[in-house]
Amino acid sequence: MTRRRPPRSRFSRPQWAISIAAALAAIGLVGAAQWNSSLARQEYISSAQRVLIIEAEQAQRQQEALRSQLEEAEARVRTFQERDEGSRTALEALNQELVVARFAAGLEAVRGPGVIIEIADSERPVPPGESPTNYIVLVDDLRDIVTALWGSGAEAISIAGGAVEGGPLAERLVSTTSIYGAGAAILVNDVRLSPPYRIEAIGADGLNDRFLAHPSYLARVARRIESYGLQFITDARDELELPAFIGAPPLRWGAPVAELD
Amino acid sequence: MAARIAQLSLFAVALVIRILLVGQLRSQARPIELSSLSAQELSTLIEALGARNVELSDGLSDVTEQIREYERAQILGQSVLELTEEDLDRIAAFGGLRAIEGQGIVVDVEVDGSFEPTAVNDLIHELRNAGAEAIAVDDIRITASSVAIKGTGTSAIEIDGVTIGRSFSIRAIGSPPGLRSAIERPGGILTLLQQSVDAVFTIDEATTLEIPATRRDLTPRAARPSE
Repeated sequence: MTRRRPPRSRFSRPQWAISIAAALAAIGLVGAAQWNSSLARQEYISSAQRVLIIEAEQAQRQQEALRSQLEEAEARVRTFQERDEGSRTALEALNQELVVARFAAGLEAVRGPGVIIEIADSERPVPPGESPTNYIVLVDDLRDIVTALWGSGAEAISIAGGAVEGGPLAERLVSTTSIYGAGAAILVNDVRLSPPYRIEAIGADGLNDRFLAHPSYLARVARRIESYGLQFITDARDELELPAFIGAPPLRWGAPVAELD
Repeated sequence: MAARIAQLSLFAVALVIRILLVGQLRSQARPIELSSLSAQELSTLIEALGARNVELSDGLSDVTEQIREYERAQILGQSVLELTEEDLDRIAAFGGLRAIEGQGIVVDVEVDGSFEPTAVNDLIHELRNAGAEAIAVDDIRITASSVAIKGTGTSAIEIDGVTIGRSFSIRAIGSPPGLRSAIERPGGILTLLQQSVDAVFTIDEATTLEIPATRRDLTPRAARPSE
């Protein structure tokens, strides 16, 4: 038995054309949305703001260049320190002390078990009459998380931020680190970060559990996560690697006190 | 043939939609664009970036000079141990393992009512942001991991396991006028704290201050050098 093909309807031929028309309409909508959002952004930028934005971008580029030059220069210094022509024993003892001091200062990249914490702005719509700032990650949230991590026995912490391709550079926290807010922007080591913020901490086993039970976490940030739907995850890891801090600030106003022998 | 053209057309259209959607999503993935900051916030940001760039630039000059000294010593066939010891002193002081002396400010705090640990941490962040090179609360050296928290089973504030009383002082080494103006600026940390806590703050500039080394053992238990 042969199967006869049904006769073609007058409208069957352009079915694919209708699909394309629908798809083109979708393109039009997405394109219009993008065009409108970029127009809206530009409308509110005054000429004074534009000058400031250019200045901020230049300062950021200069910072990146300086950090990379400094990283190279510090690597050269280390090479000199490791191949001294003098006493081998004295050199080894000194280099051992340097490793300990660099670790304490955060100038050494480190590995170990720990926890990754990610926090980002809420995706909930802001109800009428409520402040939109309740629904974004604030500088206090990061400070509370960091306080709870140190209080839970973290030995090294870094913070990265922003959905940058290839991952943003993480900022290692050291004795001079300030976590600081400039409007919605958060600065860590004077580097501007954007959400989602990724905090990595190395510490003995159980760091994640101790962190989640720490009063500095529970007091404020845990409540904000619950109340406003800030996006938040923690993930315990067997092995993490944290970068070294780049550019120990020189002592300008103080000097090390000589140790008594 | 028509079916082939239809497939190709649909594929091309789907590709364009995908590119547009990815573009739209990426533009939303970075919510804090510089253009979303106010002029005042941009000025604060530029000031912070500028201060850090000066610090990095100074640091680069110092390290470049250090490299020259190492090169000179190498040419003359001399040991560089002395240079390395100086570097060790600087790094140990930065990390809190050595005491530091120099100019700075002293913030005396007399607590009358309730005082939360976050107030102490906020003050420390403000001083660090203003360029403090070393900080101590009473005799407790503030290292990277030193934070003020509530003591277990008590309302007292602890730093590095040491309880601080209702009257304490924060000493910071750095530019005395710079540190002072950062603390006292209108709308700054002092204004905020005076509105939210019951305490009296007194700030004095000092030409000589000594910040002790930490008493904590900073030897890592879980972390190890990467290389």
